[in-house]
Amino acid sequence: MMTRPAPSRPQATDTAAAPDRSRWTAAVFVAPVVLYLLALQFYPLAQQFYLSVTATSLLDPSRQTFVGLENYRDILSDPEFHQALRVTVVYTLVCVAGSILLGLGAALLLDRPFRGRGIARALVTIPWAAPPVAAALIFVWLFNAQYGLVSRASQALGLSTGGFNWLDEPSFALPAILITTLWQIFPFSAVVILAALQSVPSELREAAVIDGADRLSVFKAVVWPTIRPTVALLALLITVWSLRRFDVIWIMTQGGPLGETNTLVIDLYRRAFVYLDLGRAAAVGIVGLVVAVLVTLIYFWASRRAEAASGKR
Amino acid sequence: MARFRPFHAAAVLALLGVAAFPLYWMFVTSLTPSARLFGAAPQVLPDLSQLPVYLDALTSTSLRHWLFNSMVVAVGTTVLSILLAVLPAYALSRLKFPGMLLLGFTLFLTQMLPEAMLVVPLYDIFARLGLLNTLLGLILANTAFTVPVVTWILKGAIDAVPSEIEEAAHIDGCSRLGIVLTVVVPLIAPTLAAAAVIAFFHGWNEYVFAQTFISDDQLRTASVGLASFVGELSTPIHTVMAVGFIYTLPAVVFYLFVQRYVVAGMTSGGVKG
Amino acid sequence: MALKLANVTKSFEAHKVIDNIDIEVGDDEFLVLLGPSGCGKSTILRMIAGLESVTSGEIHLAGHRVDQLPPSERDMAFVFQSYALYPHMTVRRNIAFPLIMRRHRWWFHLPVIGGLAKRRIERSPEVREKVERTAEMLALTKMLDRYPRTLSGGQRQRVALGRAMVRQPSAFLMDEPLSNLDAKLRTAMRAEITQLHQRVGGTFVYVTHDQIEAMTMGSRIALLRDGTLQQFGTPREIYETPANTYVARFIGTPPMNLIAAEVTQGTLTVGALRLPLPDGTADGNCGAVWLGLRPGALRLTALGAPGTLPGTVCLVEHIGAESVVGVTLDGLHTAHDDDGAPTREVMVTLPGYAAHKAGERVGIACDLTAFSLFDRSSGARVGGDAARS
Repeated sequence: MMTRPAPSRPQATDTAAAPDRSRWTAAVFVAPVVLYLLALQFYPLAQQFYLSVTATSLLDPSRQTFVGLENYRDILSDPEFHQALRVTVVYTLVCVAGSILLGLGAALLLDRPFRGRGIARALVTIPWAAPPVAAALIFVWLFNAQYGLVSRASQALGLSTGGFNWLDEPSFALPAILITTLWQIFPFSAVVILAALQSVPSELREAAVIDGADRLSVFKAVVWPTIRPTVALLALLITVWSLRRFDVIWIMTQGGPLGETNTLVIDLYRRAFVYLDLGRAAAVGIVGLVVAVLVTLIYFWASRRAEAASGKR
Repeated sequence: MARFRPFHAAAVLALLGVAAFPLYWMFVTSLTPSARLFGAAPQVLPDLSQLPVYLDALTSTSLRHWLFNSMVVAVGTTVLSILLAVLPAYALSRLKFPGMLLLGFTLFLTQMLPEAMLVVPLYDIFARLGLLNTLLGLILANTAFTVPVVTWILKGAIDAVPSEIEEAAHIDGCSRLGIVLTVVVPLIAPTLAAAAVIAFFHGWNEYVFAQTFISDDQLRTASVGLASFVGELSTPIHTVMAVGFIYTLPAVVFYLFVQRYVVAGMTSGGVKG
Repeated sequence: MALKLANVTKSFEAHKVIDNIDIEVGDDEFLVLLGPSGCGKSTILRMIAGLESVTSGEIHLAGHRVDQLPPSERDMAFVFQSYALYPHMTVRRNIAFPLIMRRHRWWFHLPVIGGLAKRRIERSPEVREKVERTAEMLALTKMLDRYPRTLSGGQRQRVALGRAMVRQPSAFLMDEPLSNLDAKLRTAMRAEITQLHQRVGGTFVYVTHDQIEAMTMGSRIALLRDGTLQQFGTPREIYETPANTYVARFIGTPPMNLIAAEVTQGTLTVGALRLPLPDGTADGNCGAVWLGLRPGALRLTALGAPGTLPGTVCLVEHIGAESVVGVTLDGLHTAHDDDGAPTREVMVTLPGYAAHKAGERVGIACDLTAFSLFDRSSGARVGGDAARS
């Protein structure tokens, strides 16, 4: 700019022309991905919407009878669906709370300096790198009725007399699924929170120490306010992921026993591929999607309010 | 500084134990012959003399086919995701255009769509296009789910590239596309690697589509093949665990090598974005 | 004896970052720890505060040994470079925070009850009055219910000072508190902190790399380099009788000129010039020395005038009130940096706009009313005299 002798055209043209050109560039840059997602995400989604207002069987998917909102009415009065909703809520809440608490604990442990910290930080993320199908396989074996380690241990400790498989017991199946899931996802929370902890200003921490704050007070006054937005976003991500998790649950229990691990996603898959009822399956999917979108909107609304509350007076 | 604190050390060891134990147990089980597996007390240490089990697993099952198919799907998903994501990530970060917010929100919305929900309509589409029972079909379906994540992560990295560098290239007469390919892409290489790893894992791990779209045994992926062992009794458990371990190990080792970049990429783009 | 550091040493592994520091200041003194970045001044401050451990040696405050106490029990306040205000607390809460923590009980961690208890302390007449009086002193009264991020840099700085003052500590520790402010505000805050010291009393320990801040604010200066104390004294002592060549060249702009000279039989030989050494200023036979002269102590005369050194003007800078003239001396060498790389230049400051031009031949008159002599090899002070006034 400096070296150009007396610009041949005025600067204003330069900047005025830019947005127009960049608009075209943007269109070209964005078009492929938009078309791709339209074809493989939104067109199928629209089809699901349509299926949800038809009566369609997997045996003859081309015969679709329009039934209006009947599918929704049906599932909303279906106790199986009520149970699926309940299981989904419990599953999601425990996933969020559990992985954040475990992740926070792990992150605080790994934040302090010690020899081998780098290796420890890498090792703790192993469960997250393990394929979910493999995780399911291991835990199915761990929960095996006779020879699984869980059963052997509880018998050795005198907690139970005969061996039983957690995955077959209505009151133990969901906890077993939760243990497996939490083992897989808590490292993600740990890693994210650990990164957030790096941004806690050390001077602020020291100021609190000099002001006489004990460890818990330092955490509440300095650490927590800094990492809170990250933890909130983490909670949202885990919620959304929990609402759509399929593989681990399907492989371990297929929604059983007695529907105790039947989350919405499992319910939808069962309705489609076991009951062959594509219409109601689609309706379940749409309800699940609405729940996810609502949670997200609530999150954005709440985080904006929190920001406003701490920002201005 | 690094004073030895016994409680802290014990807690860290416990944490690592929890993280690593299930995989360790998988390994130990794979090296325990059935007779001892069902004995009164479990075997706690790996019996390395049983290592030939792994050769067995590789020859007696279809594991080699499975791994090959999984690799094709994972690599294909990675390449396609990156190709599709780089330019929109740049546009979201640097250019102003109408519908930008909408695109951003849309990308986030796809995170809420469960694969299991789109299985039925995608099955229908792929059936019409002749993509059922092909690995290409799996690649296309997986990419639809990885592209939004990869785009977000790359956008976060591009946000951090100082725009002066681009302006310098612009003044030197570089076109937009030239700038992206010769200036921006090399600068975000670590994040690109992280995004690639995430896409790769998605392809390697994916289960629903592979389970539903593939009926030909020759085209099964490892995740489906492994899942087929659950509840089936004819294959000995130690073989099953060996197969599972072979399927898991590359992912974990590969991840450990690149974890620094993955973590940085996830936390900069994925979370802050 | 308000604050005393005795043989304070800090090592990381085998490496000594702070080596045997001895400093002692009285009540109501303003001690400045001065030095370039990496000299250990911040480390010393952090050791006084208790943020860093002391490897050996003792620190005493107001007659008590404090070096083994946790930071909160040392009766000190710390003002950080980045202010370190709690971003999610109002100015009022920020200032009251140390007072609330002083009365903190474990059960304050309980939800609701703890919050109520803290609010009760904050609203108690005693705390309220202290906070408001502090705020008034710092002109923060109107901002008490605002959040730090809505304040300007100078206001944030004052909140940080307020949080320190409200505890009425025996010592205030400040780590480059002005370095994040722009030049104009920095000058204003400099005066404000000096006034604050006069009003509230107590020992101030102030870390800076800025010699102007050190000279204007400090009642005592400790000048450090690579973790060792170079000189400890009043600003005037440091300026007039620097303990070594390093101190001589660290303080003053432009720094003190060091010209190679010899002292034999009571006579100082500089080039062709032979000057009788004033009585009692140095050992008459101390040999090879650096003659240290402040740029203001030199005058320019016509070439060849008696009692002058010949040279060529190589640089003229007009600052406004004075001019800086660089002169290359004929056949003499001078020291300009720590490495003692040989140069031949000296700097002279002249009042007003000096009419000299580069290339002009001049004479430099050096009289020995105010000078220093340093040993040529060790750099340590071996003699000299301060101007009497």
